[in-house]
Amino acid sequence: MQKNALYILLADDDEDDRLFFKDAFEEIKIQTKVDFVHDGMQLMEHLMDPNAKLPDILFLDLNMPKKTGKECLIEIKKTEHLKNIIIAIYSTSSSEEDIEDTFIQGANIYIKKPSDFNTLKKIINEVVTVNWHYHTSGLNRDNFLLRLK
Amino acid sequence: MKWIPNFNSSNSLRVIFVIAVFILLFLSSIAYKHNKDLDESSKVVMHTYEINIQLERLMSAIKDAETGQRGYIITRNARFLTPYIYSRDKVNTSFITLKKLTTDNPKQQKNLEKLFKLIIQRFVSFENCLKYSDPKTYDKRKLDNHMFGGRILMENIRFQVDEMNDIEKNYLAKRLKIYAAEISLSPLFSISLFLVALLFILLAYRQISRDFERLKIYNKKLLISSGLMAESESIGKFSTWQWDLDSDKIDYSDNQYRLLGYEPNAFVPVKETFLEFVHPDDKEKVAKSMENIVEKKQLPFVYYKITRPDYEIRYFKSTGKLLTDQQGSKILLGINFDITDEHLLNIELQERNRELEKSNKELASFNHVASHDLQEPLRKIQTFVSRISEADKAVLSESAKAYISKIEVSAKRMRVLIDDLLLFSRTNTTKKEFIKLSLNELLENAESELAEIIEEKKAVITVSKLPKLAVIPYQIEQLFINLIGNSLKYSQPDTVPEIKIESEKVNSADYPDLLEPNVKKFHKITFTDNGMGFDPQFKETIFVLFQRLHSKTDYPGTGIGLAICKKIVDNHKGHIIADSTPNKGSVFTVFLPE
Repeated sequence: MQKNALYILLADDDEDDRLFFKDAFEEIKIQTKVDFVHDGMQLMEHLMDPNAKLPDILFLDLNMPKKTGKECLIEIKKTEHLKNIIIAIYSTSSSEEDIEDTFIQGANIYIKKPSDFNTLKKIINEVVTVNWHYHTSGLNRDNFLLRLK
Repeated sequence: MKWIPNFNSSNSLRVIFVIAVFILLFLSSIAYKHNKDLDESSKVVMHTYEINIQLERLMSAIKDAETGQRGYIITRNARFLTPYIYSRDKVNTSFITLKKLTTDNPKQQKNLEKLFKLIIQRFVSFENCLKYSDPKTYDKRKLDNHMFGGRILMENIRFQVDEMNDIEKNYLAKRLKIYAAEISLSPLFSISLFLVALLFILLAYRQISRDFERLKIYNKKLLISSGLMAESESIGKFSTWQWDLDSDKIDYSDNQYRLLGYEPNAFVPVKETFLEFVHPDDKEKVAKSMENIVEKKQLPFVYYKITRPDYEIRYFKSTGKLLTDQQGSKILLGINFDITDEHLLNIELQERNRELEKSNKELASFNHVASHDLQEPLRKIQTFVSRISEADKAVLSESAKAYISKIEVSAKRMRVLIDDLLLFSRTNTTKKEFIKLSLNELLENAESELAEIIEEKKAVITVSKLPKLAVIPYQIEQLFINLIGNSLKYSQPDTVPEIKIESEKVNSADYPDLLEPNVKKFHKITFTDNGMGFDPQFKETIFVLFQRLHSKTDYPGTGIGLAICKKIVDNHKGHIIADSTPNKGSVFTVFLPE
């Protein structure tokens, strides 16, 4: 494992989705380390562990057992040492309500899970390579939902 | 608030009566004085006549003495001397009486003294006459002298008596004159005063009878209005009660008794009576509000139950107000409404509301299932299919390749169906914020959304000036997208699609079958195209969900687009209609209220 590899964490209860995600990262050939947690509870335990390394980008599914993505988001943003983690919502839902809520709660980007593997690769590439400091400073409602051209 | 009609005349009546009473008092005091004066004058007359009589008696006594003496002298018979002897006593008696009568008059007293002296002299002369006529001491000359002197003395006495009588008569005349003067002034005066008093009393009588008439009219009116009040109370299922705080007297209206399950006036209400009817659950609340009303002078509506004597429970709504009438006494006015029917209806409505809420919740969870749970396996099917690489496909048989592509097409169609269905349900469930916007602006957004297909079909869209309206922006934008998209989709293959969008203001009265008359003006926006059109017999069914006029192989679609249009227009309390001539074009008309 390289020292400057990006550390990516995906919280998703769906085994297939974790598989797609892992394969996509393997194919885009960017130095990354990808870890998985299976539900919201596990995610929070992982993040609160003082020995754990904090992820550079957290991909967060909304519909998870035990603790939903939205609950995790609120908790993370309330916790001092976690609130600067870049959070990408990664959900099947594209309802206005979910997008609005997570935007208000301080998520950085909203990704609707694509139904095409190549699109998934493109999205991951986009998210990983974007200059987050730049992106966050100009954060607004219009570019919150990731749309690929 | 006007409680009692104002009778201003009561004050003037009082003044009239006071004046009349004073006049009558004055008149009676005058009459009393007259009586007194008359009494006085008659006393004076009596006094004068008494003096006169006594003087005459005195005179006659002396004359009797004289006559007796004469008879004696002539006959020398002692019997003639009897009146002479008695006359002295008579004279003395009269004298004493006269002295008493004239005590208040010094002049008459003097005269009386003079008279007394003369009478004594006369009696001395009598003695002398008797002495000189006696044959023993007879002296003719001396007798003559004394007889003559007696004659003169007698005249003097007569003169003196006459003078005294004259003085009394003058005095009487003077007094009578004074009284006559006093009385002569009064009859006219007292008659006029009497007439004035009479006039006042008549005036008062007229005023009283007039007030009486007015009272009668007011009374009649009051009777009518209280009758109407009682009637409206029983029709409107409400009742009133009054509580006079000063006298602590409580009055229930007839309907109050009926609402409590009794005949009118079946009992005499006191302060605690009403609370006895209130259901135990609400007793405390009602008692508290009754106390509050005295402090706050007004009572907000209080809702509670009462129990009738037959144990029937009725629902009441009450209010009240503290009133102060013209006399300054405080009256608490209360109104009770029997709202049992409304209450039961309300409960039924609440029940229905709960059911609606429940089914709405179910609908929402269905939405969630559709948006999330149904999409998930579909997305995975699509993703897995997309993961079959070209290298994998190369080793597959032709038919297997064809199946895979069929799976792709079916999955895609299912995705469109789910997305459109969600869009349709969201037009109803998402929040509806109305913002005043120019429709031209929204139309431009719709055009830029459709830019690709417009470009592709080289369509010509002409837009006239559209109104500025309070709308839900994204929905109207969706409406425009769907209508223009529809025209572009069903354009004629060999002609350049032309879409004309126009707007005008119309009166709802001109479209009585379509528009509600309570909104006077509508904006009529028409979308006219030169597309392939449709059979006008379907002009209503095309707005129904999943209704399609073409096979999905010729024109892919879900049959939701126009249903969404209808829903959006409904959300804006408007109407949408369609008409068409096949192969010539269609017209979609949207009516939006001003």
